[in-house]
Amino acid sequence: MKIAVIQFPGTNCEHETLVAARSSGLSGELFRWNRPAEELSAFDGYIIPGGFSYQDRLRAGAIASKEPVMDALREEAERGKPIIGICNGFQILTESGLLPGLGGINVALASNVMVSKGEIVRRGFYCAWTTLRTETPARRCSGSFILNKGDLVSMPLAHAEGNLVTADEDLMERLNEEDQIVFRYCDEGGRVEREFPVNVNGSLESIAGICNPEGNVLGLMPHPERSSFAWQLPPTDSAKSAGDMTAPGPGRRIFESMKRYIEVMR
Amino acid sequence: MKINLRVSLKIPDAEAATVKNTLRRRMGYGAVLEDLRRERLWSIEVDDSVLDPESLARRLARELVNENKESYKATVDSIDFEEGYVPVKVGLRIEDGEAISAQKRLRNRLGFDMVRSVERSSIWKLSLRADDPERTAGEIAERLLINPHKDFYEIMR
Repeated sequence: MKIAVIQFPGTNCEHETLVAARSSGLSGELFRWNRPAEELSAFDGYIIPGGFSYQDRLRAGAIASKEPVMDALREEAERGKPIIGICNGFQILTESGLLPGLGGINVALASNVMVSKGEIVRRGFYCAWTTLRTETPARRCSGSFILNKGDLVSMPLAHAEGNLVTADEDLMERLNEEDQIVFRYCDEGGRVEREFPVNVNGSLESIAGICNPEGNVLGLMPHPERSSFAWQLPPTDSAKSAGDMTAPGPGRRIFESMKRYIEVMR
Repeated sequence: MKINLRVSLKIPDAEAATVKNTLRRRMGYGAVLEDLRRERLWSIEVDDSVLDPESLARRLARELVNENKESYKATVDSIDFEEGYVPVKVGLRIEDGEAISAQKRLRNRLGFDMVRSVERSSIWKLSLRADDPERTAGEIAERLLINPHKDFYEIMR
């Protein structure tokens, strides 16, 4: 099972993403955006990692979404292959229309707006550990394939534009009905709240990750590659204090999901 | 009255170059798009009782423009663009935190009590070889310059 980690100019999480994917049993390589796009078909799955593609010029993900490699990825997605977009990768997938994949561009990931007690208390870049609650049943989505509804996964996030908004009044209802909301921000007990600091960026319905209708394409703002080993976890985490620094961290389950999805779909 | 500060870079504008390259090389506008330039626009609503808006504009520019790398043109109420370009204004349709912060900073910390509101937008100036340049500019705005779920655009002619 060989995956491609797509690297655009300005991507900066490609190496640790590849390390995390390999730790789950996947093999893979970095795939630079300007390689012949048709070479993508040789891979079983794809990850668009975080960073600042094209320095976030115009708006995050907008320029990368127009690259030929994205047309090739769209074709691979139509074949059912899994794609996971992390942070800037999620932004690229929304700007390209691959997410939520309802035809055209359906959402924007706008600047963070942190609201507490009805007041805006902070805006812009935010970096923190966060907990995600899985909202979909197992096997619904490639990137949460082995996660059950209600499972909690902790991982850090670091972004300025992750506030999911839409001008489509019916979109949220549709995403809920079709089980396309895969992750929501929650507290450590699994309780979802609309306001900061649980909802870290003001995202509609505390959305942290969504998939396409078919479930093979997932985008999420937090970074699973940054919690794939125990050594990456906060000092207070029990998995870290257990002593084995190379033990799996919770984020690895995203990559293990992708691996399992590929095994099942082959 | 409204004071408009049109701010452009003195140094090369990498963002405008990237957008131009994307439109020409990736989106089929190679034979259509001759040139593309970008400005930042601050539209500042101030009390009508202000007696010398040109002087006020210069004082506001000292706070909002970094003259080491930017230059500006100030106008009161109207904006006139140069011939040969279709100006496309792009702004946020959702709340603009940076504009709100600028307004608060000007009023509450820098003593500009006469400032009523602040709007921030980008002006993309497109030189187009097309039968209907304004229609083409609108198409470019919808295909690249905006995400309709957070941005709006307006052809300023």
